Amino acid sequence: MTSAATLDAAGPAGSGPGSTGELVFSAWSAVSPFGTGAEAYSAGLRSATSAVGALDPEAYPGPYERAGLVDGFSAAAALGKKGTRTMDRVTALAVSTVGELLERCGSSLLERPERVGLVLGTGSGSVQSIMDFTRDSLTGDRPYLVDPARFPNTVMNRAAGQSAIWHGIKGPNTTIAGGWLTGLLALGYAARLHRGGHCDRVLCGAAEEFSVQRAWLEWHAAEEAARPPLGEGGAAWLLEPGDEARAAGREPLARLLTTRFRAYHRPQDAGPALTECVRGALAEAGVSGGAVRLVAPLGAPGEEYAVLRALPAGSDPEWIRCRPLLGDASAAATGFQLAAVLAAAGDGRPAAGELSLVTGIDRDGTVGCAVLAR
Amino acid sequence: MNSEHRTPRRVVITGLGVVTSIGTGAAEFLSGLRTGRSGVKPITSFDTAGYAHANGCEIDDFDPAEWIENIDPDELGRASQFSVAAARMAVTDAGMEHEELRRRRVLVSVGTTDGESHDLDTLMGRQLEAGPESLDPGVARRSAAGLLSSSVVRELELTDVEAVTIPTACAAGNYAIGSGYDAIRAGEVEAALSGGADAVCRKTFTGFYRLGTIAPEVSQPFDTDRKGILTGEGAGILFMESLDSALARGARIYAEVLGYGLNCDAHHAVAPDRDSLAACIEVAHRNAGVKPGDIDFISAHGTGTKANDVTEAGAIRQVFPDPPPTVSVKSMLGHTMGAASALASAACALSITEGFIPPTINHRQTDPECGLDPVPNEARTADVRIVQNNALAFAGNNAVLILGRYEGPEPVGSAGRPAAGQGAA
Repeated sequence: MTSAATLDAAGPAGSGPGSTGELVFSAWSAVSPFGTGAEAYSAGLRSATSAVGALDPEAYPGPYERAGLVDGFSAAAALGKKGTRTMDRVTALAVSTVGELLERCGSSLLERPERVGLVLGTGSGSVQSIMDFTRDSLTGDRPYLVDPARFPNTVMNRAAGQSAIWHGIKGPNTTIAGGWLTGLLALGYAARLHRGGHCDRVLCGAAEEFSVQRAWLEWHAAEEAARPPLGEGGAAWLLEPGDEARAAGREPLARLLTTRFRAYHRPQDAGPALTECVRGALAEAGVSGGAVRLVAPLGAPGEEYAVLRALPAGSDPEWIRCRPLLGDASAAATGFQLAAVLAAAGDGRPAAGELSLVTGIDRDGTVGCAVLAR
Repeated sequence: MNSEHRTPRRVVITGLGVVTSIGTGAAEFLSGLRTGRSGVKPITSFDTAGYAHANGCEIDDFDPAEWIENIDPDELGRASQFSVAAARMAVTDAGMEHEELRRRRVLVSVGTTDGESHDLDTLMGRQLEAGPESLDPGVARRSAAGLLSSSVVRELELTDVEAVTIPTACAAGNYAIGSGYDAIRAGEVEAALSGGADAVCRKTFTGFYRLGTIAPEVSQPFDTDRKGILTGEGAGILFMESLDSALARGARIYAEVLGYGLNCDAHHAVAPDRDSLAACIEVAHRNAGVKPGDIDFISAHGTGTKANDVTEAGAIRQVFPDPPPTVSVKSMLGHTMGAASALASAACALSITEGFIPPTINHRQTDPECGLDPVPNEARTADVRIVQNNALAFAGNNAVLILGRYEGPEPVGSAGRPAAGQGAA
């Protein structure tokens, strides 16, 4: 639903040229189990060696024995001691990821901070922070003797809001949630925000933390047969009009053609819904499925078959499968997949003019995809 | 590349779904707003022993089975029950046939502060009693924030749909409505169900209590004696479509969405910023093509805390040389968090249709530091053409929405939109 159509009118607050023209991805970064920064992420994908490892049962008692953790990551280690005493893990991952991205964008990006948007997907925020706060209320001498400095961590816009505060980003600041599709939904929302003229460029991404509490909730919520190791981290990218990217010295890595979403109402309809979704997206973008050379799927059952059904017979795209390498990163999962496509673009894949897809099937009845062109 | 140019569509509100402590359904809600009904009562959804005071604005007569047809209500957390019920109400209120809606491309965007934190409270209670191994899988599954929007899709059996939950805290309703507006305006979708939902929970009550911002008895926005917020709950979902679509089906039009503005203070985790809010109001005016003098009343964020009300009033006076009446429906509904600005938008739409300004109740003496006319205690009959709805959130997330009366082909703003794009009707 985010095809590159533009509005005739300058659009709301049409003070900048940003509200017309197609959007490109002109920078990206990630903080992931592969390490901190885009290079570490690209290298991890190239090596195709899983970053999922054994969990320390002392530090992470819980139902999972393995997970994809950002090794050695803590708020203080990544961001310094100042201002991080009560910062929770997902917030720190978000602030760090956005910081890594800003570094790659160059210092001029925030010259007009009120015209730069930030759209961040974080699922239910930090369920660890939320439930710890409730625990303190239930177990303290008085139910209100909780740490007030930790209250903001329990509100789900904390990670996006704190990223804006930390880095001085004053444009629209939006938090997005939608299960595994969160990263794709954030991308769609960000493109719409830009097209509506609400910002000149938009930083967009998704973050998720590993915590004991999240692990227990995921364990109970998942079907028994579907409990892959969990992952965590953040991925973020810059969306801006192509001409502006070039003017700022940022070479576009890929163009965003469209995002598209659909729903299914019986488990057996999930695959067909995704097939329909991909077909619709390609049609809306006015491109041929024959040009699809790269696909980064979520890793849901039947997903790859559903994607192939939407492409011409004999299509043989390259698959980048993030989940086996990084674990199930929940709200960050489709964000990691997008970052993987951008990493491949940085390596020159696919060739100019060819297409990449990012896809997902959520267990709550929704599917989605994004179409990117080199 | 497909980069055709499209004429922006005008966007109208044709259906309201509201679940509130002063009435469920547009008619009951309207009657509550007109008569200045109060939703305050002692909180019962969690054990309040140990708090010196624990009033709130809960909904004590909500039966999800009365509204939800296709989902077992036990599969939904309380906030999702509210959002699903409100969405179904909005579709019915719009006179939109379900089969017709299923043929359209739809955006469902639901804002929230806490998602299903009421369930997370419950899960923590269980965990303390019996250990994390014993958590109820059904409650764990339904506790995800994404379900506030995807459950609407499931209930209405939509297929060509994008479902997004927007947890931008206490301004989330306006964010969600704004995104629905953008999507229809650009012709990306043919209908939007947009608003917000939240349920009262221990976690958030406790947080505000600890900050000293929970009022002992009632919410008194802009009053000299105001003592804070009361946590409330509910959902407000607007059915929006293009003006063309509404006219073609002969739908009743409550109001036109003229535009909105967003910005971020990027300054403080909880304290609002006057200058930044003023800037957001100016952005909203510019986007909507209106001037301060066009605004007939402001539906304020108006939480009733010392800090919010004086900061918000300051921002309003900064933009408006002569501020219009400025009311807070939170005096009646409590602070319904992510639902707050969605319910306030519904109230604004009804004010425009019915020609009145809702009151700020529990009002004795206006704080001279605020210096606004809060329409104390009794609704006021008024010719309402253009309304501004403010929303602020933790982390300095501001969102200001402008609604106008639909009066025929020309939009009602005085400043006018860019010349292109007016020909939709």
